[in-house]
This record gives sequence, structure tokens and C-alpha cells, in this order.
Amino acid sequence: MARAAVWLGHLVIVGAAAAAAVFAVALLSGSSPAVHVALPRFFPFAAMSLAVDGLSAFFLLVIALVTAAAGVYGPSYLGAHARGPAVQTLALGAFVASMALVCCAGDLFTFLLAWEGMTLASWTLVVSDTRSEENARAGLLYLVMAHAGTAALLVAFLALAERAGGFDFPAVRAAARGLDGPTRTALFMLALAGFGAKAGVVPLHVWLPKAHPAAPSHVSALMSGVMLKVAAYGIFRFGFDLLAPAGGPLPASWGWTVLLLGTASAVIGVLLALQQHDLKRLLAFHSVENVGIILIGAGLAMLLAGGRGPAALATLALAAALLHTLNHAAFKGLLFLGAGSVLARSGLRNMEELGGLARHMPWTAWLFLLGAVAISALPPLNGFVSEWMTFQALLLGGVRLGGASGLLAGVAASMLALTGGLAAACFAKAFGVTFLGRPRTAHAEHATESPAPMIAGMLLLAAACVALGLAPGWAMRLLDRPTAELLVGAASAAVTARGPLVLSAGDAAAGAGPTEISVTLAAALLALLAGLAALLRRGRRDAPRRLAPTWTCGMTPTARFDYTGTAFAKPLRLIFAALYRPRREIVKETGPSPYVVRRLAYTGEVVDLAETLLYARVKRWVTATSHGIRAYSTGRIHGYIAFVLVTLVVSLLLFANG
Amino acid sequence: METTLTHVARTAAQAALLVAAAPLVTGLVQKLKARLQCRRGASVWQPYRDLAKLLRKGTVEADTASPFFRAVPVLVLAATVATTAMLPVLWAPAQPAAVPLGDAILLVALLALARFLLAVGALDAGGAFGGMGASREMTVGLLVEPALMLTVFSVAVSAGTTEVGLLAARRAPLALSWAAPDLLALFAMLILALAETGRIPVDNPDTHLELTMLHEGMLLEHSGPGLACIALATQVKQLVTLTLVAALFLPVGLASDSSPASLAIALGAFAAKVLALAGFLGLVESSYAKLRFFRVPHFLGLGLVCAFLALALRVL
Repeated sequence: MARAAVWLGHLVIVGAAAAAAVFAVALLSGSSPAVHVALPRFFPFAAMSLAVDGLSAFFLLVIALVTAAAGVYGPSYLGAHARGPAVQTLALGAFVASMALVCCAGDLFTFLLAWEGMTLASWTLVVSDTRSEENARAGLLYLVMAHAGTAALLVAFLALAERAGGFDFPAVRAAARGLDGPTRTALFMLALAGFGAKAGVVPLHVWLPKAHPAAPSHVSALMSGVMLKVAAYGIFRFGFDLLAPAGGPLPASWGWTVLLLGTASAVIGVLLALQQHDLKRLLAFHSVENVGIILIGAGLAMLLAGGRGPAALATLALAAALLHTLNHAAFKGLLFLGAGSVLARSGLRNMEELGGLARHMPWTAWLFLLGAVAISALPPLNGFVSEWMTFQALLLGGVRLGGASGLLAGVAASMLALTGGLAAACFAKAFGVTFLGRPRTAHAEHATESPAPMIAGMLLLAAACVALGLAPGWAMRLLDRPTAELLVGAASAAVTARGPLVLSAGDAAAGAGPTEISVTLAAALLALLAGLAALLRRGRRDAPRRLAPTWTCGMTPTARFDYTGTAFAKPLRLIFAALYRPRREIVKETGPSPYVVRRLAYTGEVVDLAETLLYARVKRWVTATSHGIRAYSTGRIHGYIAFVLVTLVVSLLLFANG
Repeated sequence: METTLTHVARTAAQAALLVAAAPLVTGLVQKLKARLQCRRGASVWQPYRDLAKLLRKGTVEADTASPFFRAVPVLVLAATVATTAMLPVLWAPAQPAAVPLGDAILLVALLALARFLLAVGALDAGGAFGGMGASREMTVGLLVEPALMLTVFSVAVSAGTTEVGLLAARRAPLALSWAAPDLLALFAMLILALAETGRIPVDNPDTHLELTMLHEGMLLEHSGPGLACIALATQVKQLVTLTLVAALFLPVGLASDSSPASLAIALGAFAAKVLALAGFLGLVESSYAKLRFFRVPHFLGLGLVCAFLALALRVL
């Protein structure tokens, strides 16, 4: 009965996602005007409405894609090991609906309500999966960080609503036109902080790698693949649309801030991901990296927008950021579902206890490898396409901007290259240690393949990764409307001058021809050459082929000879020691002779500098202040009345004239 | 007017030339090293004989390996050879090609794909050496990438494109009139070329000693035709790296038509450039010791700083 209810709930979610996807694609590919729906007036002080324009529709598509896959995947996954699957199904529905509502909100009030619903629903999912103290603590940190972000948003929203005399987006837009420079920038920075806390921008990312892995895996996929994008939607909506000045460029400080934050998030996110052994935690850190990559594109678009650079280049940068949003949703969703399959079938998340899964879980393994290639920005899959566009935008935009901004673009490009290299190393480790070699524990040895619905969920996202990689021109068409709304110029015009299968990027005014690639053609070439190489590989027909154990210096080969993830990441731990501050402890128990080692225990860990430098200090300060206040919190009612009186008098003195 | 058909034919001819000549370059470097060590050394054709021998042999596979392990040599060779279609060897295109295959970024990404697949495969056999080689190779690879991107950018800034063929064609009239940024970028590129080709002082191609090996560690469990595929891929990657250096910094002598005279000049110029760069590799390998692995980041950091300065000089 409960099982049927869970299936029914998920099927409803999948159906709604499919309908939303059809609606979004229809809106994006047609030229029908933006949809506007007035909601019934629940609250006397605010009229609520929904407004779906190109940008909303694009993010609706992102939500729908991962939701459909997660909805197909979910029931089998929950059936395997969840507690309270019915509650989780309900919370999942509420979570997805509120994310869609955020993107479709037509006024600040609806936006904020949906935003809060999204936080609470996802919090429910984080703390309900496994009841451990660690999860509860992760949930609490998530709640605190999310509400600190909401507080920043609230200040910005109320300041805007007060000036606009209402919550409606058109009124807000009109009011924002009249803002002076410093106020506009202050409001943007508040919004950036609020959305950044949700998007996991460094240094506001600390909750993310704790909270995302704690949820059920298909919810992790939604949180990492989609919820962060909803926060990115906020940055796009406010930076390019609501707060943008009428005509003319956006303030240069916005572009610089977003570009620098994006670069820092990309590099720090992937560096921290490299040192994780927990498969889901590693993936969560990669979300910090990918949000960084999206922000690099967005920041560059801000620098180039409004006439500071050619419209085509600003469009290219924005299109790269938006396309990466969709791409990341596809491959991160796929990877989280893959990690979920591993967790469901082996009960383990720690890759140091796994290994050799590829033999028993071939579908999961090869789909995970596909996701790994995509996220490492390797051709011919979708991650490469959006990073190539970001690189081109950085190069061409850097040349156009010149000076310090140009140099910043160059540095961002080289850091993006470093990020790609680090991601490749990280996923060589994650895939190799988890799926290849020998199983390290009995759980890993006896794991079996996931049921068909789970594989179907992964296949859907894998197909999206391949399609977006091989024929990116089609996806570009969907970006035309959002980019035309936020900037002047359509995305497909910026990159698909030579048909949908060729990507071209160039600065026509600079006199240089465009740079063109065709991932489709590159993939065809790869396939052709692989066919030729396979002929070479086959060798002579009569050549002997035998199996033998791997040489382990004369000892019996066991799983302990397999290279571990910790060992794999060791060179980087030493090279970037200044950032990781690695700590290790080796306990050696020897027998009568110091050369006979009875027992050897190794513990090691790295720190997240943001946590130790920033959060630990803030926590100490808050604790110390609380202790200080306690002296005045005596419990006597007279004292409290005196405080209230003093506060009232001071407020009257301060604000009475205003 | 360059038709699509001639373009495809020229690309195929250039790719075939690079693949066919790749073992010879390795042989030449080996010969030069031997001469510098006062040995006679093996013939320059020895790498071809080695490949032929390996292709005839049988294979021994690790009993723990998954089917992926068998596919690794094929995919690595395919990804590496695909990069040969993206370089100007004899001809420099005048305009963007009708069938655009790629640019410097796709080229670097394909080499990264080959490295990724090889490293993943090395973890499959379940020995510590494979993992060790994979870990080190990926580390060096990711340290090379940012500097390589800066170098390519500093050159591309002056031409407005990252397509290597167009870059070479556009810089050809300048010939060898290098400005300061070019010299800095060339210096950076030569450092990176040593790392990308897996040569001393970053890696030692001649050893299987576990303390020193990077690339070779990943090949330990491959044998027979599979090993031949990977060996050929390594040689092709070396020649591709040298050709990339030549295209970015020495774009002279490239032909614009198919007349025998200009083709002969182009072939001669290509041979001279590759010989000079291969000589550089051999000379460095004979006169320096291999760096300790944790010194390599400092060495590559020098390349990063030079590339950054080159870009700064160009942009500011």
C-alpha cells in the first residue's frame, strides 16, 4: 500500500516534470509573449502572481530534466533503504514545486515564499533520511546558512519594494532604474550574498558538502544539480534584469566581484573535492566548482554587457554560463544517481571500502564513467562544450576589455584550465577506486546491479549529456530567448553561424576570423580512429592471450595492493599543503624488535580553510558575546522592562525626526 | 579556392605524416642521447621494429581487470591520433575550414582525454604501481594545463583565434620577428613541452624504477598489441606537442598551394623544425638529472610565471 503510494507520488512528479518541460520548450522555441498569471490574493498587503519569460522557462527546463530522472529513480531507491518513504515523497513534491515556483514568481513576495518553501522542504529531506547526530548537525548548519542568506535577501527585497511601492517585478524594475550607483551596488551585493549562500559560493559553501550528501541520493541530485541553479537564477534575474540600470553598462564592480568569486569557487571547490573519500561528499564539493564556472561566465557577461564590449561577446559569455547550468544539471544528476546506486547496493559511501564494482554493476559503472568524462570537461561530451565557450568568451572578451579586466580574464581562463585538470584527476580517482580493481570489502564484493527503474533514471540524464555534447547547436536555440531578454542579441547568433553542428566564436569587429569547432565531427573522427585502432589492437589471430595475476613483488595479490584514493590524492595534498593544512598521525605498534611492526594505524585529514579561518572565528565570537550578555540576562522582570524603556527612548531620539 | 575535398585530403595527409613520422622522432632522440653518451646506440628505425614486434606478440592480462582495460589502448590511441588532424604541418589554411575540426583548446582537451583514460585504466589492474603512475601523471598533467592555456592565450591574443592553423597562417608574415611576449611564451612552452612529452627533468621515459616513473608506471600491465597502441600514442603525442610549438612560434615555410616546389619547402621546413626541437629534448635529457617529483611543481611554476608575464605584456 505504502509502496503503491510512493510509486504514485513519484509518477505524478514525473508527469508534472514532463509537462513542465514541454511547456518550457514550447515557450523557448516559440515567440509567444511571456505568460503572466495572477494568483488569488492570500495576503492583504501583497498581490501575488506568476510570470514565465524566457529565463524562467529555461530554468524550468533544468528543473524538469533532473526531476524527471529523479522521479523515475526514486521509488526503487527509497524502497531499498529509506525510512518514512511516504513523507519523503511528499517533501520531494513540495521541494520540486517550490523550486519551480521560485523560477516562475512574478513578484518579490511570491519569490520569497517559494524560496523559503524550497529551503524547508529540502531541510526535511536532509534530516529525515538517516537519523544520526551528524545529519542533524548538517541540517542545522544548512538551516542557519540558508536563513542568513534569506535575511540578506529580505533586506534587499524590502528596500526595493519600499521604493517600488509594491512587490511586482515590473514596478521593482522601474524603481530600480532610478537608483543611484552606490545604492544599486549595495543592493546587488546583498542579493549576491543571499543567493551565493544558497548556491554554495566560496566562502559561503561550508554547509553544502555536509547537507547535500545527507539527503537520499536522488534528492542530492536535485539539490546539487538544480537547487543551486535556482540560486544562480536569482543572480541572473537580479544582476541582469531587475537591478540593471536603464541602458549602459552594468557597474564594473559587479562583474569583477562575480568573476573573482566564480574563479575562487571553481578552484577551491575542486581542490577540496579531491581530498574526499566519501563519494557523495566529493560530488557535493564539485557542485561548488561548477557554480564557480557558471559565475565565471556570468561575471564576464556583466563586464561585457551594455556596450563595454560587443554584444555578441557578452551573449557568448552569458550563453556559456546558461548552457553550463543545464549541462551541470545533467552530469551532476547522473553522477549522484550513480553514487546512489552504489550506496543502495553496497551500503557504502566511502570509496576506500569499495572497488571492483564494475564487474557486478556494469550499467552503473559505465554510466558513472560517462558522467565523469562529462564533468571533467573532456570531449566529446557536454561539459567540454560549455567550458569551450567560456574559454572563447574569456579570450575574446579579455582582448576586447584590455587592461586589468583583460588580464583578469586571462587568469580566470588559466584557473579554469587548472579546474578542468583537477576535476579529471578527481574523477580518475573516484571512478577508478570505486569501480575498478579488486573489491576491498565483502559489501563491495557482493553488490549487485540496481533495478531497472534506477538505471532508466541514469540513462535519461546520460542521454542528455551525450545529446548536449554532440549537438549543442540545438540547445543554443533554446538559449535565444533568455539571452535576448537579459542582453541584446541571441545566443544562437553568437555561436551557430555555421549550422547547429558547428560552434563558432569570434569577434567580427576585431577583424579576425572566428574560431570554429565541431564536436560532432570530432566525435565521428574519434569513432573512426577507434575502429582503426581496434583493428591494430586485435593483433595476430593466433597470438596467445592469457590471464594472470598482477605482479605484486612476489606477495599474494590482495585488495590491499590496490592504490587507495588517499594515496592517489597525496601528491596534490603536498603540493597544495598551504591550502589544505594536512594533518596526519601514524600509530606504530612494534613487537620485541623495532623492525617487527604489529599494527600500523594511519589517520589523516585536511581542513577547509574557510571553515577554520572564518567560521571557527565567527563561532568563537558569537559564543563569547553570548557569554558576555548572560551577565545582564538575570531573569528579573524589572531589568528587562528597563532595557525595553532604554531602547524605546534611544529609538525615539534617533528616528523621531525622520 | 580551397574546396572541402582538398581540405579533407590535406588534413588526412598531414595526420598520416605525423603518425608515420612519430616513431622516427623518438628514434632520433634516442640516437642523439646515445651519441652524447659516447655510445653508438640503436638505429633510428628501432621504434618501428619495437612496434612491429609488440603487434605480433600475445597478451597477458590482469585477472582482476574489467573489460574497460582492453578498450583503454584503443581509446587512448584514437584520442591522441585525432589531435593530428588539428595542426598545420605542411599547409596553412587561409580561411576557416569548411569542416572545422578544432582548435588549440580541443587539441589540449583531447590529449587530456587520452591521459584520463590511461590513468583510469591503470587503476584497473589492481597493482600499486599503476595507481602510483596514474596519480603522478594526472598531477603533472593538471599542473601543465593552466600554464599551457596562458601560453596559448598570449599567442592567440595577437591573432584573435585559437585555431592553430589560422594562428600559424596569420603569424607567418611576421616569421621570426619575436617580441618580448613571444620569447617569454616560447620559454614557457619549451618547459611545458618537456613535461608533456614525458622527458627529463619531469619524467624519465627509459625507466621502470618505481621511484622515478610517471608515464611508464601506467603501462606496466599492458602487453602485446595493446602496449604497441599506447607506445604509438605516446610517440604521436610527442610529435604533436613539438608540432604545436612549431606552429605557434615558428610558423615559417608553410605551403599555401600544392605545387611540388612549395611542398618540398614545407616538408623541409617541418623536418628542420622538428629536428631542432627533438634535438632540444635530447640535449636537455642528456645534460640534466631528473627532478625529484615534488620539485616538478616549482619547475612548471616557472613556466606558469613566464606565460603569465607574456599575457600581461600583450594585454596591458
